[in-house]
Amino acid sequence: MSEATTEAGTKKESASGAIQIQLRGVSKSYERGGERLKILSELDLDVREGSFEALMGPSGSGKSTLLNLIAGLDRPTSGTITISGKRIDSMSEGELARWRANTIGFVFQSYNLLPVLTAVENVELPLLLTKVPSNERRKRAETALRVVGLEDRKTHYPRQLSGGQEQRVAIARAIVNDPAIIVADEPTGDLDRQSADEILALLEKLNTELGKSIVMVTHDPSAAERASVIRRLNKGALE
Amino acid sequence: MIPIRYNVRSLVVRKTTTIATALGVGLVVFVLSSSLMLSAGIKKTLGVSGQDDVAIVLRKGSDAELGSVLDTSAVNTIVGGPGVKHDGAGKPVGVGEVVVVGALEKIGAVGVANVQIRGVTPDGIKFRPHTHIVAGREAKPGSDEVVVGLRIRGRFKGTELGETFDLRKNRPVTVVGVFADEGSSYESEVWVDLDTLRADYGRAGSLSSVRVRLDSPAAFDVFKAAMEGEKQYGYLALRERDYLEKQSQGTSLFIGVMGTLISIFFALGAMIGATITMYAAVANRQREIGTLRALGFSQGSILVSFLLEAVLLAFIGGAVGALASLGMGFVHFSMLNFASWSEIVFGFEPTPGIMMTSLGLALGMGLLGGFFPALRAARVSPVAAMRG
Amino acid sequence: MTLTGLAVRNVLRNTFRTVLTVVGVAVATVAFIFLRTLISSWADASDFAVKDRLMTRHKITFVMTLPRHYIDEVRNIPHIKVATFANWFGAKDPKHDKEFFANMGVDADTFFKVYDDMVVPPADLDTWLHDPQGAIVGDVLAAKMGWKIGDKVSLESGIYPSRPQWDFKVDGIYTTKGRSVDRSSFYFHWKFLNDSQPAARKDQIGWIISRVDNPNDTANIAVAVDKVFDEKDTQTLSQDERAFTASFLAGLSAVLTAVNIISVVILVIMMLVLGNTIAMGVRERTNEYGVLKALGFSGQQIALFVFGEAATIGFAGGVLGVLIAYPFVEIGIGRWLEENMGQFFPYFRVPPMVTVTALGLATLLGLLAAAIPAWVASRLRVVDALRRVA
Repeated sequence: MSEATTEAGTKKESASGAIQIQLRGVSKSYERGGERLKILSELDLDVREGSFEALMGPSGSGKSTLLNLIAGLDRPTSGTITISGKRIDSMSEGELARWRANTIGFVFQSYNLLPVLTAVENVELPLLLTKVPSNERRKRAETALRVVGLEDRKTHYPRQLSGGQEQRVAIARAIVNDPAIIVADEPTGDLDRQSADEILALLEKLNTELGKSIVMVTHDPSAAERASVIRRLNKGALE
Repeated sequence: MIPIRYNVRSLVVRKTTTIATALGVGLVVFVLSSSLMLSAGIKKTLGVSGQDDVAIVLRKGSDAELGSVLDTSAVNTIVGGPGVKHDGAGKPVGVGEVVVVGALEKIGAVGVANVQIRGVTPDGIKFRPHTHIVAGREAKPGSDEVVVGLRIRGRFKGTELGETFDLRKNRPVTVVGVFADEGSSYESEVWVDLDTLRADYGRAGSLSSVRVRLDSPAAFDVFKAAMEGEKQYGYLALRERDYLEKQSQGTSLFIGVMGTLISIFFALGAMIGATITMYAAVANRQREIGTLRALGFSQGSILVSFLLEAVLLAFIGGAVGALASLGMGFVHFSMLNFASWSEIVFGFEPTPGIMMTSLGLALGMGLLGGFFPALRAARVSPVAAMRG
Repeated sequence: MTLTGLAVRNVLRNTFRTVLTVVGVAVATVAFIFLRTLISSWADASDFAVKDRLMTRHKITFVMTLPRHYIDEVRNIPHIKVATFANWFGAKDPKHDKEFFANMGVDADTFFKVYDDMVVPPADLDTWLHDPQGAIVGDVLAAKMGWKIGDKVSLESGIYPSRPQWDFKVDGIYTTKGRSVDRSSFYFHWKFLNDSQPAARKDQIGWIISRVDNPNDTANIAVAVDKVFDEKDTQTLSQDERAFTASFLAGLSAVLTAVNIISVVILVIMMLVLGNTIAMGVRERTNEYGVLKALGFSGQQIALFVFGEAATIGFAGGVLGVLIAYPFVEIGIGRWLEENMGQFFPYFRVPPMVTVTALGLATLLGLLAAAIPAWVASRLRVVDALRRVA
């Protein structure tokens, strides 16, 4: 595990918690047009509990692929991934789905809110995977919206919200189940500077106040600044 | 697990496609429901005329009253048979009638139609408890007055109350009454005095059929045995119910088969339409599905959700189609009854069973049509939620 | 790379959806062909009627008979080449009492001269002429009942009760030239029928069929025949065979109308399925159309793409439908109908015109269905279209 430096050269405290995410010898290849493309080669990675990690690298470096693997959206071609003691590379589709619902909160670049549901309904969605009764669900969703400051927009549809507001709703959805890890893929990619800053501040809050681990892929140097660890990927390997 | 309102709202959002597909399903259900209703209507029209305790005797070898010739003397033999009810005065309850087909000129359309004409005795109306005069009066026995059924009135030249038409050249008859009989086939007949008809049609001394009222429905078997036992008589005895059912069989089967065949074609076509729609929906919502999967919804829940959406779509269309077909209940259909070579007016008979079947068809179409698209939706990888 | 090439590739792009749509159109085409064949096999029966054949029956109703001597008078009328008569027997075979078939007693010497479209091997015809209780039956009927030449058949008649049972021997089986007569009838000697009648009911014939020498003049000859009997107690009504057939079909007019309506409905469904697919394709390719327009293609050219695609799918579906229809409708359903409902569908053949119409309609409907999507595509503003790029 390396102590990262930001572009300005100052060191930030790296998290001191136990190792939460552990990758050993992880490779990922795809078949495309008859050819085998190797995206990641024999990666080793440790992420500590409570860490705020930024993954950076040029286009095609495999950072999104790495994120997908950590989030349990995809499986490695070889190698092991252990998260909080569980080997997720060997879980079945069904087990992975349940694991994701309990462990991961997602923030996507294009927000990915369901257009036919209102803000509060979108936030409630992950709770449907639990045994929480319906009135309790509604309350928790509203609470999550309050955390991101959008409770007054709870009956609005995504098309009635600005980009920044949509992303905040998405973040509320990401935390409503109280997951241990938040996975964010270019969360500010589609936003203007001001909205981007708001989002990043939120993420920081989730990390420092609520203790959630965050793994974030980003191009944006100011986003990377907020992280406690910066990792660079190039041609499928960590630098 | 995925809330239904997701599916409902998704359907609403793509209004045009949803309506087009639902319309297709609705049309199928409408056609199936209507033809089943017509088939039931035919059975009802012909069956309703039948009474449980009435037996009809025809010439052996004939299919219908039209093709049966009995000697007048047969009446005494037949009404004297075992099990025949006797009235207060000790007279056996039975009627012998002649049935012919005549050509009447249509009003409002070119040409003639073949109409069943029945020569009846004064007891004719009394024998049938559900028959009653609804306009005018009964015809005087032995005269050239006639009564016409409800479905005849006004549809042919000279069949309105008070008008006359020619039974044969220079033999006019006057319509003095109109009768109704609960929508049965009798309502498509003209009733003439038996002797007048026999004289005009050269059928002196013969009958087409004899109907008797039995003491009870159970007395039929003994009666039948007696009638058919004497080979030299050459009689065929049937319960009136069974006779009428045979009359309707050919026609109602024909309509039923044709309607079902056509509906199957339709169903295939509409189902393919539904499948295409659902596939497109899945393709457009890749990102949504990926997100749901990423959040942790299982493949099974996605499958069920999309299947439900297809079924919902089909059901809406089917319900509209079924409701529309109920409107056919107000339509009347004049058709040639194959057994009697005459035209009878049929109605469309809605029954709960038919409605169930039609809606069931819609559900089936939704399930079958939506299955493979739902399968494809379930296979969408969570990675689809990410960009690219 | 040409414009057509681009259009073709667009069609092949989402192969699965295209295939599904083509199948949908094919199914609708088969249904359409089936329904039109149904109508034509009924309604056109009169088209195949022999043009110089005249039917003369009782004026009031076909149920009543004519006096036998009427045939002699008809034979004397000018322009009548040859005349015969027949009586409806209305009998059933008690061994197959659920099977209905037409059976008639006919004037043996003249019947097959008037109906020369029924072909009987001369040797068999000769046997029959000399066998008073002989019968000649249609090939489809013989096959259905399992009758062979030499078999004994007994019938029971409801109309002629003078015998409880009528015994016949099958002397010959007729086949048909052309489509003017059915293949499921049973003919025997009228003399056999008449000899068994009580005196009061002797010498009655059902209807007279004659051949005239001038087929263009049947209307006038028919009037002339009826005039001969107008003053007598029993009047006649003469019609050429076409009108005679048509009058029976009149009773089915409501069904025919319903079938006509349904064939239109099928076309509507076809259009909906096609239109849906095309519209979806247009929505998906908005971006591409934007690029094409930016490059300089006109709205009309874009519309042409859409039309071309729709017409191709429609045509392909029509062709597939026609290919399926022949074995399925004509050989599958058609044969079944001919055998089991031979009185109503003696010939269930798909008329070539129907095939051509179906193909044309499928293509045409494709074009119609594409009209609105094509218009929308042609009016896309480049800016809007390109903005939809992710």
